[in-house]
Amino acid sequence: MTETPSVDRRDSEKVPHDLVIVGAGPAALSAALYTSREDIDTVLFEKGAIGGLAAVTDWVDNYPGFEKGIAGLDLSEQMRKQAERFGAKIELGEVSKIEDQGKLKKLTTTEGDVYAKAVLVATGSEYKQIGVPGEKEYYARGVHYCATCDGAFYRDKKLVVVGGGNSAAQESMFLTKFASHIDMLVRSKLRASDVLIKELEKHKDKITVHLGTTTDEIVGKDSKVTKVIGTDAASGKKVEFPTDGVFVFVGLLPNTKFLAGSAIEVDDFGFIKSDLHLMTNVAGIFVAGDVRSGATLQIASASGEGATAALMIREYLEMQERGPLPEAVVGHPQLYG
Amino acid sequence: MPKNITIYTTNTCSYCPMVKRYLKSKGLPYDEVNLEKHPERQDEVFKMSGALTVPVTIVTQQDDSQEVVVGYNLSRLAPAIA
Repeated sequence: MTETPSVDRRDSEKVPHDLVIVGAGPAALSAALYTSREDIDTVLFEKGAIGGLAAVTDWVDNYPGFEKGIAGLDLSEQMRKQAERFGAKIELGEVSKIEDQGKLKKLTTTEGDVYAKAVLVATGSEYKQIGVPGEKEYYARGVHYCATCDGAFYRDKKLVVVGGGNSAAQESMFLTKFASHIDMLVRSKLRASDVLIKELEKHKDKITVHLGTTTDEIVGKDSKVTKVIGTDAASGKKVEFPTDGVFVFVGLLPNTKFLAGSAIEVDDFGFIKSDLHLMTNVAGIFVAGDVRSGATLQIASASGEGATAALMIREYLEMQERGPLPEAVVGHPQLYG
Repeated sequence: MPKNITIYTTNTCSYCPMVKRYLKSKGLPYDEVNLEKHPERQDEVFKMSGALTVPVTIVTQQDDSQEVVVGYNLSRLAPAIA
């Protein structure tokens, strides 16, 4: 693998990269750290923030190695620097198509066509929309999906947060830095971790949690959000929450739209299927992190999957050069690594 | 080459460093307005962008026409600085 030098994308049609990683979140950066450290020519394409959803997370308390926790943006930056230290290259661009051409994969990108011997899809996921009236109309003008990006616009103002999971709890607490009060609308019950629920309790002077409350409509006037209308499930009565803005954290959608029409199989929810070696149904195309069907949607597990994928990719690339290994050691790279 | 580029940012915005990184990769200088240090300028951004979000990048061309790019949006930012 080392005979293929790292190449500029302008030469990529002549010399394929060993590995192109689509995405630059924790799974992608961990994989890149492993592969580039082994002189596997590795290029990542990122259309959004380096670090993915981890980068837009205010504070990460459950990633090993940081006793007091770490800001998501700082963690992402450290991961980026560590991968780049060993030679991984990050291109700021979007991949719109992956074609399987047998031993080579062709990627259509905003920076031109790129070829690779192996591809790792690690595009992660993005926050879901609720799908209620007013949500699209007031997008970025009162309805938001990123507290660390847009929270500062709500200093001393009232907010509604929709959702009851870890992200909703964590981001609500972050928003207390700015907002005067937050109504947290939870459709059923809190699904956040016990630790976060206890933390929420400490913010009860600023955060009011409304369990069993659906979000039905976001209402505004003169281009500004003024209230959220919901329903109290127990009584069936409509309830109104006057607010200046709404932050939505109701689950995740996989970033796999760009694979529509490709041969890569996804599950009923759009997450990419893989085998035990994290390879998709297309030989040489691997998947890791939040975008993988069955992923646990944690930064630590995404990083672990990235490392695993890197070892499997190394094995795949070696196999392409020297032929298949005995069945007994396939999937156990440590036996000969 | 644009006459001037201004980026409106906040301390915790993860897409703001991406815009700065992209402009640096293209060798383009820019001015930065941190809205947490200058909250009095939030209305100015909202009037220009129609959005309560950052990053907002204002690209002023040589003929003084302006392109407003909301968010880290390469499909809009790339042609604006070309």
